[in-house]
Amino acid sequence: MHKNILNLVETARCAVHARRLSKMRMAQRAVATITLFAIFASIPASFGDPLSPAEVKSLLARIREKRAAEPQVEADFHEEKIIRLMNKPIVSSGKVSFQAPNKFRREAKGNSPSVTVSDGQQLWIYYPNFKSAERYSLGKRSPLDSVIAAINTALNLENVETTFHITGVKIDPPQAGWELELTPRSPSMKRMFERLHLRINDNLLVEHTEMFQPNGDRIVTNYSKQTRMLIPASTFEFVPPPGTDVTTPLGK
Amino acid sequence: MRSSDYIAHLMTRRRALVWGAVVLLVIACVTILITRLKLDSDVLNMLPSGFSSVEGLKVYNRDFEQTRELTFALLCQPGDVEKLEEFSPQFAEHLRQQPWCERVLAGSPMETPDGIRDLQSIVVPLLMNLEPAEFEKAMSILQPEKIRERLHRLHQQIEAGSPRPQLELEFDPLGLLAPALKPLGQGTAIQEDQPLASSDRTMRIFLAVTKQASMSAFECQRLMREVDQFRARASEGWEGEHLEILVTGRAAYVAEISLSMRHDIIATLLGSILLVGSIFLIGFQRWLPLLGMGFALLLSCLVALALGFLIFNRLNMVTVGFCAILIGLGVDFAILIFGRYQQARGDGESHQGAIATSVAKLGRAVFFGAITTAVGFLALILSGSMGFSQLGVLIAIGILFAGLFMCTILFLFVRERQAPIRHDWLFGVVKKYVRWSVNRPARVLILSTTILLALSAFGFSPSPPLSFDASMRSLEPKNSRASRALESIMHKMPARWEPVLAIVQARDEQELHDDWRKIAAHWSELQAAGKIKSFSTPAALTLSPMWMQKNRERLRAFDFQKVRRSLEETLDAEGFSRDSFAPAFALLDEFQRLVESAVPLPHWREKLPKSSSWWFLIDRYFSKDPLLTTGFATTNAPVATHEQREEIGRDLPVPEVPMVLSGWSFALADLLPWSHRQLLIISGLMAIFDAVFLAFLYRDWRLWVIQEITLAFAVGAMVASMKLLHIPLNLLNVLAFRLVLAIGVDYGIYVVLVWQKASELEHDVAGVIKPVLLAGLTAVSGFASLGLAKNPSLSSLGIACAIGIFWSLAATIFFTLPAAAAAEPKLWREDKTGIS
Repeated sequence: MHKNILNLVETARCAVHARRLSKMRMAQRAVATITLFAIFASIPASFGDPLSPAEVKSLLARIREKRAAEPQVEADFHEEKIIRLMNKPIVSSGKVSFQAPNKFRREAKGNSPSVTVSDGQQLWIYYPNFKSAERYSLGKRSPLDSVIAAINTALNLENVETTFHITGVKIDPPQAGWELELTPRSPSMKRMFERLHLRINDNLLVEHTEMFQPNGDRIVTNYSKQTRMLIPASTFEFVPPPGTDVTTPLGK
Repeated sequence: MRSSDYIAHLMTRRRALVWGAVVLLVIACVTILITRLKLDSDVLNMLPSGFSSVEGLKVYNRDFEQTRELTFALLCQPGDVEKLEEFSPQFAEHLRQQPWCERVLAGSPMETPDGIRDLQSIVVPLLMNLEPAEFEKAMSILQPEKIRERLHRLHQQIEAGSPRPQLELEFDPLGLLAPALKPLGQGTAIQEDQPLASSDRTMRIFLAVTKQASMSAFECQRLMREVDQFRARASEGWEGEHLEILVTGRAAYVAEISLSMRHDIIATLLGSILLVGSIFLIGFQRWLPLLGMGFALLLSCLVALALGFLIFNRLNMVTVGFCAILIGLGVDFAILIFGRYQQARGDGESHQGAIATSVAKLGRAVFFGAITTAVGFLALILSGSMGFSQLGVLIAIGILFAGLFMCTILFLFVRERQAPIRHDWLFGVVKKYVRWSVNRPARVLILSTTILLALSAFGFSPSPPLSFDASMRSLEPKNSRASRALESIMHKMPARWEPVLAIVQARDEQELHDDWRKIAAHWSELQAAGKIKSFSTPAALTLSPMWMQKNRERLRAFDFQKVRRSLEETLDAEGFSRDSFAPAFALLDEFQRLVESAVPLPHWREKLPKSSSWWFLIDRYFSKDPLLTTGFATTNAPVATHEQREEIGRDLPVPEVPMVLSGWSFALADLLPWSHRQLLIISGLMAIFDAVFLAFLYRDWRLWVIQEITLAFAVGAMVASMKLLHIPLNLLNVLAFRLVLAIGVDYGIYVVLVWQKASELEHDVAGVIKPVLLAGLTAVSGFASLGLAKNPSLSSLGIACAIGIFWSLAATIFFTLPAAAAAEPKLWREDKTGIS
């Protein structure tokens, strides 16, 4: 048995390496999707100081209702990644489309463009400049599955209170709205990010998210021009263009 | 004076002298036991010697650190998986703090900053150990233009949002770690299984290396006491439902096995005494002779044990079973001698005269009976197993002394004024049966032949086959906590079978490196050809002084100051933080130092911190002696047959590389022919010996044929019973067949010899059937009591022997007697009286 376990330890190290590689990606995706979900927020106009647990629960219930009624949305985004490796933040912007519960497409423009697409089973990241793409399979006993499951739960707002500690405060005018802070409960999610900060305006649309990672890195994203509209199913599908170099960092 | 008269005189007139001699003997034996007591609890010593696979297992168990590992598993309820994840680091830390714990592996080293740092610390020796061409290629990444190109590309990828470059730069900032680790990756099987957690996340595994000084039974018991104390309080802080803490490992097994020896001695001895005593009491209705018999048997055990320690120095755990067997066999002599004594007293002889008569009439028979049984057990030496050889020798010694003591010391416990038995119901029953079967042998014969023939046909029929369990489980102790823990872990963790071990010992580092390189290349070809599933070798960790020296010389061509400047400029140009690249600068400094020839060549053993979790991986491959190593080849299917073993034995070795193939599954498959040989050839030889001996003894072909058929029926019925009761044969209980042939034949001899000479059937034949019945039942009881042992070898051997002897006894009484009566008819006394 010892041999088996040690062999597993030894031979899994490549997979572990790949898992570490994917954590950041997943964290980014988590922020994006949680934020996108929050765009649906439609909160009744009630004002007060820190939200009580009952108020948070009520708020989440309304968000769930709204999402169920209008499951698709598009928005522009502007993102700043503050990472230890770089002296300056990495800035990107573009458009994001989302369909509940777990499909999304994120197109970053600029000098280093990229397209990120997930249909719930697979996650593609395509880099046009390099003619390369990375493919991640979701739900194949990866240690991140629990994290993904937790995120999806959060997106669906099913048992979200059991997945995250949620606190909220009211923001006074002129920038009236709410700020929510989601802290993961499970160690696996805690390893991915320490906490997630959301700012929702009084039109119940998310304007700003900020994710803090355990290694000190931080991702700040601002959203604008959110629109609810029907999005074609093909938006959430991805086929690599001919000649693309496809890699699978987590294996098949 | 005849010897029988002298013995009778001693036992009746010189009792104090005899008691004095007994006391001296006991003192001498106890002294030997106190001064020489050394027990061998190694289950490997149960296996026959002379097999390289078995010797390989012994080497692996003795010299590799893995033997000091304990596996802990936390098993929670499905609803508590998150709590378990949260609790695991706390448990690991608690485990780490135990004074008996040297280091703990609670997760993949790659998941911890320390694990990555440790890996970075050995990059230089691993790089220097690359094949010179590979080294050249790897080091080319330090050319200024390549540094610029790489960092620019990674910067662009980071901006595009790829997570990979960021992780790559954190793990391998200079791009040299990947080529350094490449050989390690090539020599190992890549799997995506979670290593230390079950797929349903309800179980987590922790490996702990202990600070045990040795693997002795007492040391393991001491360790496991401490481990149990830790287990009792290890769930403090756990907030979920019931949390099970499982422990397994070699120390756990050794502690349990050694502790079970005490249980086995007491349980089998008491069981045997109780059963045998009960039968004796039912047969003779006397307490004091029963006490005498018990005393004589215990004295025989004591003497045999003392002589055993003098002969072997240390005795294997399996020998604890000899007492129970000895009691079961030695009591035969007591029954025969005391039965004859009672008969003589019944015939009106005095106490001293009856002793002399019984010794005179049966002393020689007891002596030769003891000799033949002793020879039968001494044949266990042919098994090649040290444990069973010791068992055979101890029983042989014990049975000889039992014969001697039953003819002497037993009578110290027989009172002179003992009244004869008024109503011997057993003798009455036996007498009725003998009369019936002698007068109408056909009826008994038809019935018994039908039953025994049917059983034999079923037994010898190839379908259904008698199952043969060659798995490790057949040798594991019963109700073992360590075994149950292992079973639970195997149930929860991804199922994989045990790989074949290849043990390689070299004379120096270069030879070790060359050997493993050849092996890795050969096994790669085997894997590509689909002959093996995967493999794992220490090839990448075996250093080649020759290559390292060459690479060092090549290193002198580099200007590391220039490389450093180029790196700094590129980092600034691309906007990278210099602080994040500190490991890269440290690596360049180390190369610079190596350029100076005075600095010795680096070795990963010196670089890797002692507390590093990577040692768990390294200890798999390297023993305490760094030149004694092992690799692992996972076959396409579990090794279960000798054909598989042969194929592996042909495929895996590499010409000119001395290699010992081993592993539990491999060794057990290797032993299958040995086991079959024990079953067929040795048992066959015993049967031939019996046949020749009986032919010489009886000098009557009809009686000889009857006896041979009896033996065949007994063995056939024994096999049939094992099939019906689903008792599998295993590597060790196949030895039962020869014992059954050796012991079972005696009952037939008693009956047939008496039948040949009998003039008064009631006095002679009925008089011998009763002791034979009692002797047989006591032998069955003695062996059956071994079934109480936790040691599976002992218990399965005991049960198989008990079944075999039972059928020998049954065949003798219900087939041999009526068959002899049919072949050579004799008149019952009452009938003779009537005729006359």
